[in-house]
This record gives sequence, structure tokens and C-alpha cells, in this order.
Amino acid sequence: MAGSGTAHLRGHDDVVLRVEHLVMEFPAGRHQVVHAVSDVSFDIRRGETLGIVGESGCGKSTTARNIVQLPPPTSGRVVLDPGTDQEAELTALVGEDLRQVRPRLQMIFQDPISSLNPRRRVRDIVGEGLHIWAGGSDDEQIRARVDEVLDAVGIDPTVAANRRPHEFSGGQCQRISIARAVVLEPEILICDEPVSALDVSVQAQILNLLEEMKDRYGLTLVFISHDLSVVHNVSDRVIVMYLGKVCEVGGADTLYSAPAHPYTRVLLASAPEPASTVDESESAIGDEIPSPIDPPSGCRFRTRCPRAEARCADEEPMMRSVGDDHFVACHFPSLG
Amino acid sequence: MAGALLTVRDLSVGFLTEQGLVRAVDGVSFDLEPGQTLGVVGESGSGKSVTAKALMNLLPSYAQVRGTVDFDGRNVFAMAANKEKHFWGVEMTMVFQDPMTSLNPVKKVGEQITESLRVHLRRSRRDALAEAGDLLEQVGIPEPGKRLTQYPHELSGGLRQRVVIAMALACGPRLLIADEPTTALDVTVQKHILDLLDDLRRARGMAMILITHDLGVVKGRADEVMVMYAGHTMEEAPTATLFAEMRHPYTEALLETIPRIDTPSHTRLVPIPGRPPEVIDVLDGCPFAPRCRYSIARCLTDQPGLTSHGAGHLCACHAPVGTPSGIQARSANESAGTTAAGLDMGQFTRNVPVADLGQSGAEG
Repeated sequence: MAGSGTAHLRGHDDVVLRVEHLVMEFPAGRHQVVHAVSDVSFDIRRGETLGIVGESGCGKSTTARNIVQLPPPTSGRVVLDPGTDQEAELTALVGEDLRQVRPRLQMIFQDPISSLNPRRRVRDIVGEGLHIWAGGSDDEQIRARVDEVLDAVGIDPTVAANRRPHEFSGGQCQRISIARAVVLEPEILICDEPVSALDVSVQAQILNLLEEMKDRYGLTLVFISHDLSVVHNVSDRVIVMYLGKVCEVGGADTLYSAPAHPYTRVLLASAPEPASTVDESESAIGDEIPSPIDPPSGCRFRTRCPRAEARCADEEPMMRSVGDDHFVACHFPSLG
Repeated sequence: MAGALLTVRDLSVGFLTEQGLVRAVDGVSFDLEPGQTLGVVGESGSGKSVTAKALMNLLPSYAQVRGTVDFDGRNVFAMAANKEKHFWGVEMTMVFQDPMTSLNPVKKVGEQITESLRVHLRRSRRDALAEAGDLLEQVGIPEPGKRLTQYPHELSGGLRQRVVIAMALACGPRLLIADEPTTALDVTVQKHILDLLDDLRRARGMAMILITHDLGVVKGRADEVMVMYAGHTMEEAPTATLFAEMRHPYTEALLETIPRIDTPSHTRLVPIPGRPPEVIDVLDGCPFAPRCRYSIARCLTDQPGLTSHGAGHLCACHAPVGTPSGIQARSANESAGTTAAGLDMGQFTRNVPVADLGQSGAEG
């Protein structure tokens, strides 16, 4: 896209989270503004895994943080369970009302070691949410529940519950982070680069574990990563972002087998082992990502795009359908 | 070997710590011909970076280094650092992972590139600056004249790594060691940098050691690949051979555990259970045995040495993949449901949680 539009939204049909026209701007001094996320819309169905992929600075982590209102976006709407009696418009809530909704959304982060408090024991880390939210449960019930979840993520509670994070490897700490997130039975689990800091031999364990947790606890996942192969593996639907905009949205297999946006094609051609659907020579673009303080007019990708024409500078492309559950924001997409 | 530019024999590096002796590198040997690329693949703790630092004489003084390293017939470890300062940085140079920390933030790019030219080759300031401009052009930096007067923070990550490469190439090295040169960079930039290194290597007839954790990076770029695990060489082979007929179970497991870009979504990944060993423990057997689908009783007691599996193909395994002993070991493990090391074979196929806490409990 580097385009806008909402053609890819899917109505109320079992949608668990809808994000509309999300904008996040940070002040950069001297009256300048960083346009981190600019008019991004998407929705997620219950039980779906939504992958968000893009290079550093594309706004994928900011989008995730805006969903949980940490910090709240500059403008736009984030609605949980739209059209149901559980509906909560997160962007309209403040204070205690917002706090009451928070357990329905949980996050896990890239660095598993720094996301756990080094001074606390695993049992207290995982059980803290329950102590706050599980009104009526006594300590024994909470203890049993923590043990059950630790066991589910492959950590033996009898050995590990009284230890502190430094006694565990990165993969084990990520398991504990997952336990802490799922113990509250959230509706949505947001994973921000959850395997990027792990060794390749441990990565598959965590990806498989996330799939198991999703089945077991009926989770909906938002999975953010720069690694195209990992995103393809875990996702039902994928969003490709560039410089704060959405380029392309589609079912994971559709998007990888018939990439329509030039940027998606560049990403797929740049992987260490390029995808078979694109030609390796398509990776030849400039290295320089434009500044988000002064993003290009029209399509934000045009300065690096091999297909850019005059129209791309004048007119921002809007999201449009190019196939079954496949949307692209480009004036000149590749159509199979 | 005659004609080899670099000959490494039985290189071992140990660090004495409070917990005991850490054997970071344990008996690594290889040869590198002029103009060739050796890919070294391994996870964190495999000893790949320590090997590179040993070659570059960058290890701290308390490191216990054994073995020999010959560069063009000269014994590298016998060279005194102060007398042979025109060796490191001139004939053998290195590019590191993080381009920001490899550059001095308070010196201009031009000063940093010309430093080695002025010190090692005794160029005048003016000549060195002209040469630095040429180098920046060679590494694909637009407007080299302007970049020379900029500071590192004014450049993007990709440009910084190109500057670091220009610095490494300044004195015309015969061997370039690139330690995870693209891990900190975005995917679109990563490919450009790897291609640049390959082009420069060809143009200059330079040899290269490319260190990475990603088998995909060495595929198609290295002439030979060495797979390291826990300080040991597990397998070494010409690149095409390695991917076509891998013999070591660890190499096979690494390839199977990484998601492929083209496989359909929700394809279950074959996990490698457990985690890399602490190199403090002295292992009697093969370091990979506790995580290996092929392990047999002998793997636990008897460390396998490198044996030949065809031209230039070495593998350290008692039950190599695709050989009669390997096929038999795996099928025996499958029918027993467990390996000699007590690994549950079911987890490779069934949908069960895989505990990397496993047998040992927490890391101590």
C-alpha cells in the first residue's frame, strides 16, 4: 500500500476484534510528527491466527500495542467482540472500564528473559493475574490452576514453580510467558516476535506450543514477525505492512502463492530461500526506507517500487479485492 | 594440504569459569583454499564465533587456546600481536553482526575507513580519502563523497554494514571472516549484503568464512559448509553434497525444524526436543545424542570421530542418516518408542506438548 480503505473487512460475522482507521503519530520535536501507523484497518475472526509481517519501522509492533491501548492510538477505533453483548470499544474506554476489559487481551514479547521479573518466582509470575482477577478463588485453587497451565506449556510445576527466571533458558522463559498469558483465558493473544530471540532448534517447539495452546484454550492469535516463513506457518490470514500502511491482506496460502503487491513480492524474493512463486531478481530494490516523519505522497512504497508510475505519487491506492479473500492496495498489482 | 590458504588443526578454546572449564571449541579442523567460501553453521553456543575470534587473535588473554592455525604457511598463533600488527586487519579481516557497535559513533565514516589505510599502508591523508571514496562506491553506497563526511548515526543499518565491509576490504585482505553479517538487518537488505559480499569475493579472489545460524544463507553461497554443535564439527561437506545427502542427524533436524516459505500454513514443524547442552559438562558420548532421533547405546558412551562419507564429506556420527546403520537405528528407536537416550519418539509425530524442560528440570 501503502494504501487505505476497508474493502477487506468482513462485517460482524464471528469477528472477535475489529480495528478501523487506526492512526498513531508520535511527536518528534520541532513540530514534526512520526507517522508510525496511518489509517490501518483489519478484523480477526474467532479462532483465527492473523499474521502481521513487515520490515522494522513498518508499524507492526505499534499496531499491536495500540490494540491493547498501550498507548492508545491517536485516532481510530478498536472494538472487541463487535455486534455481541460483550462488545467493548477499547478506544472509547478509560480508567476502570478499560482495566476491566484488559484480561481479555494478553501479550507475549520478543525477549522472554526481560519480560519476566527476575526477582519473582515462576509460580508468582504466572499466578499474579489470577490473584487480581479470579475473585472468589482461594490460594489452593489458584495454585492448582497455575500448575495446570505450567504443565500445559511443558514446564514441570514441581521442579520449576519455585525457581526464578534466570534459572531457565530462553525457550523455557518463553513457555513461562505463554503460561502467564493464557492463565487468564484471554480471547486474544498478541505475540510480538515471539520466536525471534530463540535458537532455531527451539523455535519449532514454541511455534508448535502456540498452536496447541490455541486449540486447547480457544485462543485467537495476532502473530507479528519479520520472518516470512514463520508467519506463513502459523497464520490463517496475513497482513503485509510497509511504513505504517497495509499493502496486502489475504489468506496465508493465497497470499504466498499469488502475491499481488510489488512489496510482498520483494519480501518473498528476498528470503534466504526465496519463495517459488516469485523470481529471485525481484528482490532488487533500494535499501533506503523513507523517513516516517515525511512519508512519500500517494503510495508510500513508490520510492522503492519497481513498477511505480506518476499516478502512484498523486493518488493513494485503496484496498480492493483481487480474489477470494485477497485484497491489495496497489494501482498496478500482479494478478495471476 | 598443499595450496590451502588457511589450515586449522585441532583448534580448541576453553574458558575457565567458576562453574568449571567451558569448552567453547573442541578439536575443530578445516582447510580453506584461496578464493573459496566456507560456511560455518551453528546455534548460539556452538563455538562458531569463538572459532572466528581465535583466528583473528581477538580472544581475551585468559582463553585457553590449543591447536594450530596456519595462514599461507605462517603459524598465526606464533605471531606476536605487536610485531605482526600488519597481519590482522590487512591480510585477514572480519565483519561483525551489529554494524552500529562496529563503528565508532564519534568519528566520521571517512576517518574510520582511512585509518587502516594510513596505519597499515602508510597512505597520505589525501590518497587514503580518495581510496575510501572508491571503496564506498565498490560496496554500492551512493554519493560516496557525502557519506565520507557523515557520522554512523546518519546512516541506515544497511548502509552502516556496507561501510563496515568497506573498512574490512580497505587493505585488500586475502581472507574475510563475516560473523552473522546480516542477522541485525531487514530481509530486503540482508539479501543485498550477502550478494555484495559474494560479488566482492569473486572480484578480488578473496577467501571468505561466512558464519551464520541459518542454513538457507549458506545454500548457494558457500563452497563448503561446516555444521557445528557444542564446540564440535558435526558434519562438513561441499554445499551441494550437504543439502543432497546430509549424513548427520543434527543437520537433518535443523533443516526439518525450520518452516519453509512455500509449505502450506499450519504444517506441523518437526521439533528438536531439549536445548543445546552446557559446554561445561564433559560429555562421554556425542553432544547431540540426548536430542537425537537416531541415538543408539554407543552414542552415549563413545564420542564419534569424523569419518569420510565420500569426496570431502566428513560426518561425526555412529548412525549416519541414510546409511544402513542410521536407517536401522531410527527404525529400532521408532518401534521401541524411545531412543537410547530416553527420548520419546512419539513427539516427532504426535501432537503433544514437548517439554524442553525435559529430564533435567531447570538450568542450574
